[in-house]
Amino acid sequence: MATSVETHLPTDAGAAPSSEPRGGTLRRHANLTRELAISQFKLKYTGSVLGYLWSLFKPLMMFGILYVVFVKLFHIDRGTPNFVIQLLLAIVLFTFFQETTAAAMNSIASNGNMIRKAYFPRSILVVAATLSSLMTFFINLTLIIIIAGALGKLDLGWHSLLAPLFVIELYMLVLGISLLLSSLFVFYRDLGHIWEIFMQLLIYASAVIYPILFVPERFRAWVLGSPVAQIIQDMRRALVSNEGVKPEQQIQWSIHFMGATYFVPFAIVAILLGLGFYVFNRLTPRFAEYL
Amino acid sequence: MTAAITCANVNKTFRIPLDRSTTLKYRFTHLRSSSRYHDLHALDDISFDVPEGQFLGIIGHNGSGKSTLLKVLSRIYTPDSGSVSVNGNVSPFLELGVGFNPELTARENVYLSGAVIGLTHAELDRRIDGIIGFAELENFADQKLKNYSSGMQVRLAFSVAIQADAQILLMDEVLAVGDARFQEKCFDVFARYKREGRTVVLVTHDVGSVNLYCDRCLLLDHGKLHADGSPSDVTALYRRMMGAVSDAEDKAGGGEPGDRWGTREVEISAVRLLDIDGGTHRVFSSSAPMIVEVDYAVHGQVDDFMCSLRVDRSDGLTLSNPQTLMGRLTMNRQLPGNRGTLRYKVDALPLLAASYTLTATLHDAHGGHTYDHLERAQSFRVIDEKSRPGLLELGGRWDAEERPTGT
Repeated sequence: MATSVETHLPTDAGAAPSSEPRGGTLRRHANLTRELAISQFKLKYTGSVLGYLWSLFKPLMMFGILYVVFVKLFHIDRGTPNFVIQLLLAIVLFTFFQETTAAAMNSIASNGNMIRKAYFPRSILVVAATLSSLMTFFINLTLIIIIAGALGKLDLGWHSLLAPLFVIELYMLVLGISLLLSSLFVFYRDLGHIWEIFMQLLIYASAVIYPILFVPERFRAWVLGSPVAQIIQDMRRALVSNEGVKPEQQIQWSIHFMGATYFVPFAIVAILLGLGFYVFNRLTPRFAEYL
Repeated sequence: MTAAITCANVNKTFRIPLDRSTTLKYRFTHLRSSSRYHDLHALDDISFDVPEGQFLGIIGHNGSGKSTLLKVLSRIYTPDSGSVSVNGNVSPFLELGVGFNPELTARENVYLSGAVIGLTHAELDRRIDGIIGFAELENFADQKLKNYSSGMQVRLAFSVAIQADAQILLMDEVLAVGDARFQEKCFDVFARYKREGRTVVLVTHDVGSVNLYCDRCLLLDHGKLHADGSPSDVTALYRRMMGAVSDAEDKAGGGEPGDRWGTREVEISAVRLLDIDGGTHRVFSSSAPMIVEVDYAVHGQVDDFMCSLRVDRSDGLTLSNPQTLMGRLTMNRQLPGNRGTLRYKVDALPLLAASYTLTATLHDAHGGHTYDHLERAQSFRVIDEKSRPGLLELGGRWDAEERPTGT
């Protein structure tokens, strides 16, 4: 009784009618990812008059509400002059995290038709979903930088070169969570609601609407142990100017508060990414049958 | 000759849960209970090789496992046991229009669906005009797909699908597309695949195209490989199986005859449809022999009687009305108690694929008095392995005479 399950990878035999060079498989997959991401980006805004602008308005509206409530009414910023830009930047980062994971969670379950009828690495669907949100994120981030520059709150220097690294860290986090959620969501639809509630919690736990200094000193390292809070804090430090801010209210790198525990958020990102790939690969063979 | 596909002892079982738990609550509240399952053995120890360049057809009734087999070959499903090895790159699509989105334009959909079958943007840039042209949609290329008729969508899907550069093409029911003229174009594409020596595995219901294009045919039945051989043999076996199934279904459902009237001095006691071997059937092949038998029983005093049959297509169009008089056969001087059988034999059924009904009437020689009329005494279906369009095969012969110029 044969129990081995082997599937030979396609070999590019010489008689192939295609003129593609070796390594074409990777290129074809990259191409499919790109086409999917582009069409999802187009589809998201098709039929709406303002189109892409909604992606900008939504974080701006959220910013407006949070600004009025927490800064103007509750003075949560304690008069920190650069907190407006800190808040705006954090909202753009958090919106990216929230919307991308929510969209990617659906990327397998809502593409049952393709999964049942064509073979390609399923992770392409998840990556494509994150990439189309990434396009929106980059546009929004650029606009924030322009606004900050116009307000004189931008501080671009050598230290700002760390910003792309934190964006990569954020993307790795989003990808890991997306792989995990998208594969589990196929089997457990409750996840959609659970994740929504968790996001409500996370926005308050991630020092988005308040500066980290608002948190009692001994809890700061705990808050920053969450990669979302750490990334927001370090992005603020990398981009927002401290000029004219009282020394005790100036933005600091996360490591300033965390010391030796600074590795924790990075370890969490690495674990989630690894776990995401592992769970996704384990569940992949069941997608076509279950959907 | 090397094997393009080797399939050895492949098994695939689906566990169909009787109640599927997609909520966590269910999972938590039913932690211990082993859910009830119904095992469906979709593929049962399937083994076969496909040599390079072969055109293989896979046929079978609904649920026989043929689509599952194709999905295992294309790696969409993982077999439970056994091995599949594929030597060469395989087209990843199984059906037409995978990846199509109704909100995108035809052009955008070509790029998306093209990417699914492994073409890059640059390759599609070169081919896009040809694809739109083949689908005959030049004037609609920038309209959203949702505004297309289903025929237009299918044409576009087929045009994209045939761009696949893979050496091994797996196709599921891609043939039932378009009108007769578009089908001609599709057949040209298949002919080109054959010339190029590509390996094609075609899953279909259409026995005609299997006979036309395939070098070999597999017949699946309830997950088992029932037959493997030449298309003509295997499709003939399949038709017999389908015929048997239809007979059984008809008996179970009771083929319902229509109105009956007449004075019953002579009565129709049975009407049968037979093939050349004498087996009763409800399904006949075009150009194959068919025999109609009418059993009669004489009850009263009649000088003579005649039989007439009427063949109608299921929509009511009368196609033929053969009568015993025309055939120089009148039944004379009948005595009460006589019984017998009238036989109407067709050597080569000229009807093409459709459903038909047969009405039988016994009446006097002048046609003025009806003894027994049985409307829709039998119904039957004709299948045509060549899938010829139209109503009838006229059975004519072609002849050509060449007149060279310049002599």
